[in-house]
Amino acid sequence: MKNKLVNILVPLVSILLAFVIGCVIMAALGANPFVALQSLFAGAFGSARNIGTTLARSTPLIFTGLCACFAYRCGVFNLGGEGQFIIGSIVCCFVATQSGVEGLPAILLCLVLGALAGGLWAAIPGLLKIYRGQNEMIISIMLNYVATLLMGVVYTNWLRDGTVPQTASVPDATKLSRLFGLRVTTAFVIALAAGFLIYYFLFHTSRGFQLRAVGLNMTAARFNGFAVKKYILMSFIVSGAIAGLGGSAELMGTQYRLINGFAAGYGFDGVAMALIGQLHPLATILVAVFFAVLRVGSTTMQAATGVPTSVSDIIQALVIVFTVAGLAMVKLPQFKAAVARMFSKKEAA
Amino acid sequence: MDASFISNLILASVRMATPLIFLSLAELYSQRAGLVHIGLEGLAAIGSLTGFMVSLITGSPLLGVAAGAAVGILVNMIYAYATINLCAEQIVYGMAINIFAPALAAFIYRVYFGAGSELVQVGLMTTLSGLLGITSENFLVRLLLDQTPMVYLAYGLVIFTAVYFNKTRSGLNFKAVGEYPKAAATLGISVVGVKYAASVICGALAGIGGAYLTTCYSTTYTDGNVAGRGFIALAAVIFGRWSAGGVLLACLFFGFCDALQIRLQVGSYGIPYQFFQMIPYIATVAVLAVIGAKKAGPKGVGKPYLREER
Repeated sequence: MKNKLVNILVPLVSILLAFVIGCVIMAALGANPFVALQSLFAGAFGSARNIGTTLARSTPLIFTGLCACFAYRCGVFNLGGEGQFIIGSIVCCFVATQSGVEGLPAILLCLVLGALAGGLWAAIPGLLKIYRGQNEMIISIMLNYVATLLMGVVYTNWLRDGTVPQTASVPDATKLSRLFGLRVTTAFVIALAAGFLIYYFLFHTSRGFQLRAVGLNMTAARFNGFAVKKYILMSFIVSGAIAGLGGSAELMGTQYRLINGFAAGYGFDGVAMALIGQLHPLATILVAVFFAVLRVGSTTMQAATGVPTSVSDIIQALVIVFTVAGLAMVKLPQFKAAVARMFSKKEAA
Repeated sequence: MDASFISNLILASVRMATPLIFLSLAELYSQRAGLVHIGLEGLAAIGSLTGFMVSLITGSPLLGVAAGAAVGILVNMIYAYATINLCAEQIVYGMAINIFAPALAAFIYRVYFGAGSELVQVGLMTTLSGLLGITSENFLVRLLLDQTPMVYLAYGLVIFTAVYFNKTRSGLNFKAVGEYPKAAATLGISVVGVKYAASVICGALAGIGGAYLTTCYSTTYTDGNVAGRGFIALAAVIFGRWSAGGVLLACLFFGFCDALQIRLQVGSYGIPYQFFQMIPYIATVAVLAVIGAKKAGPKGVGKPYLREER
């Protein structure tokens, strides 16, 4: 119980601290931090339209966050969420614009093939990890660059549409429908569903338990007869499939075309969100929405106060820096002893 | 393919290997003290911006490099404090640095130069032959003299590192901390001290590696200009089996891949240039897949050191 409380308190305190530093930076830039923060939150929540935009922005982040979360639950670091996301969107782009299929069948086909492609892309580091014992982090990151460059080939060459380096738009019939006429689409619903499904799998099925056991202590899991290698590979493939699904959903829901900068940074953002959410799928979703609030709101803030939007990136980065350090700190024996002393004094008094 | 293609390729390999040498040595020092650092990409990003701005303001690329080193140390102290004192997981904290440092660099660039301004350019470091006033088309002269001082520094550091870790008492003590910190502590070695020293060296070298990109290689700064070199350096340390000489060879190989892709892009041959750009990344994956994981690294890497723990 006390542990759970600490797990929630540490990120909240980190967010607070990050905002305090953010305010100092804003003040240093000559803006009134209170006005800036007010415009930030108004930009993110001020109207139904803004809320819709915020949720739309959070959607791809939820996918990459869940991607990082799932793999790390099994004790492996998938830093390749961005590449898997992009591969999913590339496949989606081909199917949506080249196959001639349109409407719901195309949407379903795109989602399935996008997930499949992401899963296969993630199988590369997974296989190299279990058969060659190789560092999965470096490999998955290298594959991010390869995927980004491949996407470059697609929008500058193979599927280039006109003089501008970008692909043709997904046909209208294949676009995901908007919810309540806002910018948020059914992609958000798919993201939430994926989050709940992962939560159910991890915490309410025996396979999910075994996967977490592998993540907590690989040696112990092996001695218990769990198929450690199988779980590692599976966690990579599923994690990549989540990202690939996200790439597909993002292309049909928000971006419609592949273009330079598509998905840039989403992979590492996903890792940050999973870590702040302490590898809990539902908490990761909340953190993704928080990140989206910062991003959408900071545009309004920039217009209102002239504070550059990249302040929100600093705030995000500080949240992760503080959270990870804070979580380590509360586990230190010295810290535990100090807390215990405080409690015993209270009892004595 | 003619002689000038090959000689240019070799010259470019040396240039492209240099930032990797700095970054790999940064990783080597960190890991030899038991700290695996996947945040070099971030340290290099902030080092690169610092190098760019300081050399722009002062007009001296050398000062830019020095400032890059200083800022690299500063940012790495966050990592050092979190992993050494707070015992945070090294991989996780390295990731945090990878997110924090580039965000900081991007922010400073926006604030200083304003958004959407025209591309600011900075003068690059003069080569030794430029300083000496020698102009020659001879390949050997170009290889040995037509290099920036940073290249000589990189090779000097490789030799120093090889001697330090193998021939000096202090270097052996340093390595002991990475292998088995408790035994090192019983010998009277200050484990925490060595780990901090390693972090200072690591931060400085990673900052220099980043600053190289904006003082010796490119006249502009763009977000993401480190382009995965921080991670390729990690692969180079594994490929080089944690020895200075091995790391040098690994860096030359990856530098060659980078030089090759640039040279091939110029030729193009009708193939989309992005395929050539993939070469260094695919080479890294291929190398790691081929060598596999023979456990050769320091044994204490990744484990927190708690003095009270028995």
